Amino acid sequence: MDILDFRFDAIWNYRELFIRGLWITLGLTVVGYAGGLILGLFVGLGKLSKRKWVYYPAKYYVDFFRGTPLLVQLLLIHTALIPSIFGHSLGFFVSGAVALMLNSAAYNAEIIRAGINSIEKGQMEAARSLGMPHKTAMRLIILPQALRRMIPPFGNELIALMKDSSLVSMIAGGELLYAGKVVAGATLRPWEPYLTVAVLYLVLTFIFGKLISYVEKRFSNSYVPSPRKQRLSFGRTQAGG
Amino acid sequence: MITIKGLHKSFGELHVLQGIDYEIKEKEVICIIGPSGSGKSTFLRCINLLEDITSGEIIIEGVRVNDPKTDINEIRKEVGMVFQQFNLFPHMRVIDNITMAPIKIRKMGKQEANELARQLLEKVGLADKANAYPEQLSGGQKQRVAIARALAMRPKVMLFDEPTSALDPEMVKEVLDVMKQLALEGMTMVVVTHELGFAKEVGDRVAFMDNGLLVEEGTPDELFNQPKNERTKAFFSKILV
Ligand SMILES: Nc1ncnc2c1ncn2[C@@H]1O[C@H](COP(=O)(O)OP(=O)(O)OP(=O)(O)O)[C@@H](O)[C@H]1O
Ligand SMILES: [Mg+2]
Repeated sequence: MDILDFRFDAIWNYRELFIRGLWITLGLTVVGYAGGLILGLFVGLGKLSKRKWVYYPAKYYVDFFRGTPLLVQLLLIHTALIPSIFGHSLGFFVSGAVALMLNSAAYNAEIIRAGINSIEKGQMEAARSLGMPHKTAMRLIILPQALRRMIPPFGNELIALMKDSSLVSMIAGGELLYAGKVVAGATLRPWEPYLTVAVLYLVLTFIFGKLISYVEKRFSNSYVPSPRKQRLSFGRTQAGG
Repeated sequence: MITIKGLHKSFGELHVLQGIDYEIKEKEVICIIGPSGSGKSTFLRCINLLEDITSGEIIIEGVRVNDPKTDINEIRKEVGMVFQQFNLFPHMRVIDNITMAPIKIRKMGKQEANELARQLLEKVGLADKANAYPEQLSGGQKQRVAIARALAMRPKVMLFDEPTSALDPEMVKEVLDVMKQLALEGMTMVVVTHELGFAKEVGDRVAFMDNGLLVEEGTPDELFNQPKNERTKAFFSKILV
């Protein structure tokens, strides 16, 4: 059985393909995630709106992108939406990034809505009772607290989106999984290329995971600055003064 | 100073306030007592429109609060409110909790606001806590900060909704002492409370609310020592055993 005789030298020749795939996966993740955050904020606020003409479009948006498979969205965007707007394809990267962005925006919208709703009603009431208009209270009192609560789910979303980017291989995306597919086809060896792909995804997950737990610690549940953070800010004042 | 005429409030089918008429004069301390669920909080929250009014009217210093033309934020600047659950802003230091509204709403200078906050903290006995975060304070301390925060807007009247009900017994006194001081200084106050001792000692008038109506009111002596209404008598006989 070939499981007993791995020959990773057989895929060493294709290393550039994997490296390129890694970069494309990273690029899709970063672009899709950043776009999804910004768009998600608007959709999430839309879902909190009392105005029907704001609320319903936001609601249907979320329902559609959470209720249909990402792969279907990707194919719709790549083969139908973009060609019918621009007259031709804009390449797999644009299609992939747009699909990931639109899709994750729907999930982010729900995170934002839930985060804002999770802040105790008393906070808004206390702010309003001081004479603060609703918008000001949202900006100064509710959002700063809600954003902290959104950090863990936003972290999960980042990892999920990174893994979802593998679907872009279905439109010959050139990302990590596609590299694996090409190499498996060329060498007729399935184990080594797909295992390599799996390990590389794991490495990415690990790195993103570290990043996320750093951010989570930085914005821990307590608002009281930890001694470490205090020391950092002392350092800064000393350097400044 | 505050005139309430024929105030009704319903939550859907639930008719909570069933026609309240009341008059609060300047520098008066009104204590409202009554069984749980009788509508005391709702009454207080109607005064600064945290609940919208179903019918009737509330006039504060000649301004009809529930007139669509009235800017409710202008009213709320003059009406301070202290909540049972404190509702301090957890992401801000004590000093910022207090200065935020004067700076953002009254457009007070930062220096002046800080000065004011320090005076108020001194007054509530927490001068040393200016830089603490709310989570670092005891319940009694939180409530005293909440009082200082409301006072920083220089309101003409203060509403208290069971300000000591969420406190451990040993902290009740420190909060009541601050309120007593405030009453001595001539603040107009409406206090919903279960602290009959406070009502007796500090209240100019005490009103008994039951089932959405102010069934009896008078001086503390009248109400506590010679109640006329059967429901008032029944209430006292239940809690004074
Ligand atoms: N937002 C709301 N929606 C529906 N019903 C409400 C709402 N707020 C209060 N109620 C109902 O109105 C009634 C009066 O409530 P309220 O909080 O004014 O009573 P209370 O006298 O302050 O009681 P307590 O002493 O327990 O604080 C209760 O039956 C309560 O369930
Ligand atoms: Mg109440």
